[in-house]
Amino acid sequence: MYSGKAKDVQIYENNKVKLIFRDSISAFDGEKKDFLQGKGEVNCRMSAKLFEILNEYGIHTHYHSMIDNNTLICDKVEIIPVEVICRNVTAGSFCRRYGVAKGLDLLPPVIEFFYKDDELHDPLVTQEVAIQLEWMTKKEAMLMRAVTRAVNNILVELFDMISLQLVDFKLEFGRTHDGRIIVADEISGDSMRLWDKETGEVKDKDRYRKDMGDVVQHYNDVYDNLSKLSKLPELSLSTKAQVIVKLKQTVLDPAGEVTLRSLNRMNYQEIDNIKLGKHVFVNCLTAPSSELLKDLSDMSEKLFSNPLIEDYSIDLWFEEER
Amino acid sequence: MKIGITKFPGTNNEQDVTRVLNFLNVENELLYPRDYKKLKDYDALILAGGFSYGDYLRAGVVAARTNLIDELHDFIISEKFVLGICNGFQMLCEANYLPGVLTTNTSTKFISKWVDIKVNKTNSPLLKGLESKVMRIPIAHYEGNYYNTEESIKQLNDDSQIAFQYCNEKKEVDSLSNPNGSIANIAGIVNNKGNVLGVMPHPERASFSYLGSIDGRSIFENLIEELRC
Repeated sequence: MYSGKAKDVQIYENNKVKLIFRDSISAFDGEKKDFLQGKGEVNCRMSAKLFEILNEYGIHTHYHSMIDNNTLICDKVEIIPVEVICRNVTAGSFCRRYGVAKGLDLLPPVIEFFYKDDELHDPLVTQEVAIQLEWMTKKEAMLMRAVTRAVNNILVELFDMISLQLVDFKLEFGRTHDGRIIVADEISGDSMRLWDKETGEVKDKDRYRKDMGDVVQHYNDVYDNLSKLSKLPELSLSTKAQVIVKLKQTVLDPAGEVTLRSLNRMNYQEIDNIKLGKHVFVNCLTAPSSELLKDLSDMSEKLFSNPLIEDYSIDLWFEEER
Repeated sequence: MKIGITKFPGTNNEQDVTRVLNFLNVENELLYPRDYKKLKDYDALILAGGFSYGDYLRAGVVAARTNLIDELHDFIISEKFVLGICNGFQMLCEANYLPGVLTTNTSTKFISKWVDIKVNKTNSPLLKGLESKVMRIPIAHYEGNYYNTEESIKQLNDDSQIAFQYCNEKKEVDSLSNPNGSIANIAGIVNNKGNVLGVMPHPERASFSYLGSIDGRSIFENLIEELRC
């Protein structure tokens, strides 16, 4: 069905696919290529492990099961061609692009979007452009940001338990046949930077990029340590949402009129329309997901607003509680 | 024969309705939202006015999302009578049992005063014999401004569902007589089957001569007569 740089995707039954991890590894948009024995298996295991953990926290991913050493069964999705990078510490292209030193803390963590295109060398893209060019919708961008921050919150705490610092990582998202947005692709040593908290030793793909050697051995190291964990970090994830309810332009807003007249009396003359709305702040006790966004739309239509006279908009985000 | 009168937290007109029904010698009982399963025991339901749940969010909407108002669906389907007064009318609209919505008065003021309303010809037995009469009746509301789309208003008019309109003493439905900005001076609406009536003014406060008018009493009398026959 599709063959990528490190994985193959094959059609499976019931809107599912097989994700087959190969032993190939590449860097610099495919300029550097190699074959590392056991790399497919460790990334497959690592992804399965991390997806299972994320599922525990209510993050919706494409992962269903691992059926052999190199194969995951996942939801069939249409991959959104925009990758989300979350950075806790400066490194890699961020340092080159902005001329800043490596190893600086970024608090709150920084989210960046990149357009997936090898020929263009996966360029950084602004949200505005990605929406304009229809690579993703505004709603998808909002969800991808929130989910990435929530995943970051989980992974930072998780890797901290095995004395590793999560420097940065990449997430990809997919659209399911029933319109949900879920985390897709893989989460492994290939898609993140991990540094030993004590020694600063590199445990990720930079070992390959910089010819540091023992790539698979270090990947296995991280996987083994994660597998030994007897419990997961205690986190209670919550998602914030803000619903703005506005009277439709065609509906008279007496309170807005009064407010406008007051502004005019205060000598603010160059204003001709004021609409007063409602602001509903919602604290949701679950991780961000398209299901949660759907619930918030239902709440807005059934309770917060009256569709006959009002429109609403929903803003949803995740705040790290650290 | 028993009529239920709803009492939600924050409503305050149920005693006035009780007084009228007692005067007319009909068995009646207050119905609290938690007792929604008792709804089927009643032959008719009156949604009394007030400020249910503080009228937070929008007037009547929180009440409109209770089990009691959900249960009203089957009650209405079975063609039992429902009369929503003031906040009760707002609940019926927010629950979509009646079309439209009641929004803030254009004056942005709470209005408490006597008005005249014209009774239109509808198919509702609750308004039998009252067609084209003018009722002297009080209003007391902040959100009494009836709103609906132009097409819906036309539809309501074509289907004779506009039960009451604010008017002057000469029965003229004019803008001067419109207290709150309601489209087409609408003061009350009836559903297409005629068994659900919503009205912003308070017929229970115009049911005794010592109150200044008995014009509203005939709606209750019609209801009781319908239930008896």
